[in-house]
Amino acid sequence: MKRREFIKKSALVTGAITVPYILPTGRLFAQTGSQKAEHVVLVLFAGGVRHQESILQHYLAESQDLDIEGNIMYNMLTGDAPELKVVYGTTPAGQQPGIQPISRILQTPLDKQGTLFPEVRFSKAGTGHFVGLSTGVSGHYGVTQGLRQRPINPTIFEYIRRYMNAKATDVWFVGNGIGNSTPLLNHSDHPDFGYRYAANFFAPNVTFGSKGVEFLKGFKVYHPDEELVPIREMQAFLNNSFNLAGKEIPHLYNTDEEKADIKNFIRTTFERLENNQVSFPPVTDNGDLSTIGYTTEILRWFKPKLTVVNMSSVDSCHGSYTSYLKSLHRGDHAVGHLWNFIQTQIPEMKDNTVMIIQPEHGRNYEPNPITDENDWFAFDHDSDANSRRIFTQMVGPNVPANLRVGSELNPVGDAADAVVTIADILGIKQDVLGRGLVDFNAMSLFDRI
Amino acid sequence: MNMPISRILAFGLLLGTLAGSCKEEQYTYGVEDVLVQPVDLSGKKSKTPEQYLNILYANLYQKAMSANQLVKATDVITSIGDKQVAYETLISKFMNDPNIILPTEESMRNDPEAFVLETYQRFLVRIPTEAEKTWMINFINSHPDVTPEHVYYSFAIANEYYFY
Repeated sequence: MKRREFIKKSALVTGAITVPYILPTGRLFAQTGSQKAEHVVLVLFAGGVRHQESILQHYLAESQDLDIEGNIMYNMLTGDAPELKVVYGTTPAGQQPGIQPISRILQTPLDKQGTLFPEVRFSKAGTGHFVGLSTGVSGHYGVTQGLRQRPINPTIFEYIRRYMNAKATDVWFVGNGIGNSTPLLNHSDHPDFGYRYAANFFAPNVTFGSKGVEFLKGFKVYHPDEELVPIREMQAFLNNSFNLAGKEIPHLYNTDEEKADIKNFIRTTFERLENNQVSFPPVTDNGDLSTIGYTTEILRWFKPKLTVVNMSSVDSCHGSYTSYLKSLHRGDHAVGHLWNFIQTQIPEMKDNTVMIIQPEHGRNYEPNPITDENDWFAFDHDSDANSRRIFTQMVGPNVPANLRVGSELNPVGDAADAVVTIADILGIKQDVLGRGLVDFNAMSLFDRI
Repeated sequence: MNMPISRILAFGLLLGTLAGSCKEEQYTYGVEDVLVQPVDLSGKKSKTPEQYLNILYANLYQKAMSANQLVKATDVITSIGDKQVAYETLISKFMNDPNIILPTEESMRNDPEAFVLETYQRFLVRIPTEAEKTWMINFINSHPDVTPEHVYYSFAIANEYYFY
């Protein structure tokens, strides 16, 4: 081969290898990180969980001056339940309120199945619910974050849709309600991300509750060819006639097929409700438990890459410590049910899902003056050191079993880590970190082990 | 030929004075310039969910929605992330209600022009352009299976209906 011809061919070959290909998602090259699992479920065990009654298992000993300790979260943590002053369970007819603890679901607690970070810190910003939840889904402490304002920096939903080229129905945020700006957490207002990469959202206790029954249940299903085709044709004509200037009914870039699928899910869920087929936890007597029940339906139907579900009932601790204990116990029941459902009812997600559990922030060490029916003091969350103490638990493939990382004297982990950890599990950690929009201390928990 | 310098200076001074005194007076009226354009709907504002639901209900039932119903319906819309899915589902629920007031198919087929004009007025609060009117009439005439419900549904889920 002549020298000139050789150089020409070499240049062509080299060029073909090194010229970067810009994907429609805006990233160079295809996703390079290896996945630890194909699905992630993040449970925001929110509402403000006090460390003393959860990880430390002190029950009444470090809150009410009563020498009674014990573990009321035995699906998540290893430890014996309290034997005295049991108020957190259910109430059999004619017996003391809460006397009957709810039976455990998981024979092996999650701390034995996976890794527990018992001393994680909510290191910045005030310990408010929305800021905590926003940090949980965006990995960024919105120090200036206000209510009625979407997260300032992109959420993990947006990263996944953008960098994994994922569909809208691949990412779900399941809210415990529509208060406290919860519906605003499914995407940020960041100009490079936003609603084009948003998660689908349900507040299922509303969607499928009495209001949903009145305004959605029994909605008409139009024939896809004979009715929907002309309807869409007329709609398209009307939309084309209207000088939009970018104005549309707000949506999340679900495709027509995805929209039809979501409607079908809504219709089916109402039917399953009517036939008592929705997979609610064995005990479902508060909003967190029903939210988790509906979440299992979403998982079963859509099998999302990421599902984030938030709970909040423990926030009753502002006014009733007894109610708080009940909610904590039920939160554990909900988590146990969710993990058991994934492992036993969804073959596609079994052994292919990492579940992460994390409160959004903690609660104060000192009580407020409010007492409940047991004369026990209530607790707020005012950004004291105790309200910055949280934990994070992980379980699933590639998560070391029976491992505790960190201690009170050596805290390991930050509330902002969840986003990077999820990105790490799904293989897009470098993309997320490369954008520089998460907290500068945030790390994958796998890198902290 | 040489003009004395004093006369040149005096001439220049006179010229400058005259130029200064000829400054044109400017009048300002209380009318601002307006750029005249073809019909443009881009300046419309989006309805709030409450506004959308109120107007939708009035269009379909020809009566006002009660405050209690409005609160509940708004909560349902808020509980679903994709508002297009939420509104379409809720509208199709309304369409299943026997109390909804729709024109008869006979009246639509007998006088499609009147039906189209009335539908534009009802939903979009405007008269259709000739092109819009012609397209809609042709569409109705060429689709014997299309009902007034289908047309109403299309208008209710059109982007323009979401703005005012």
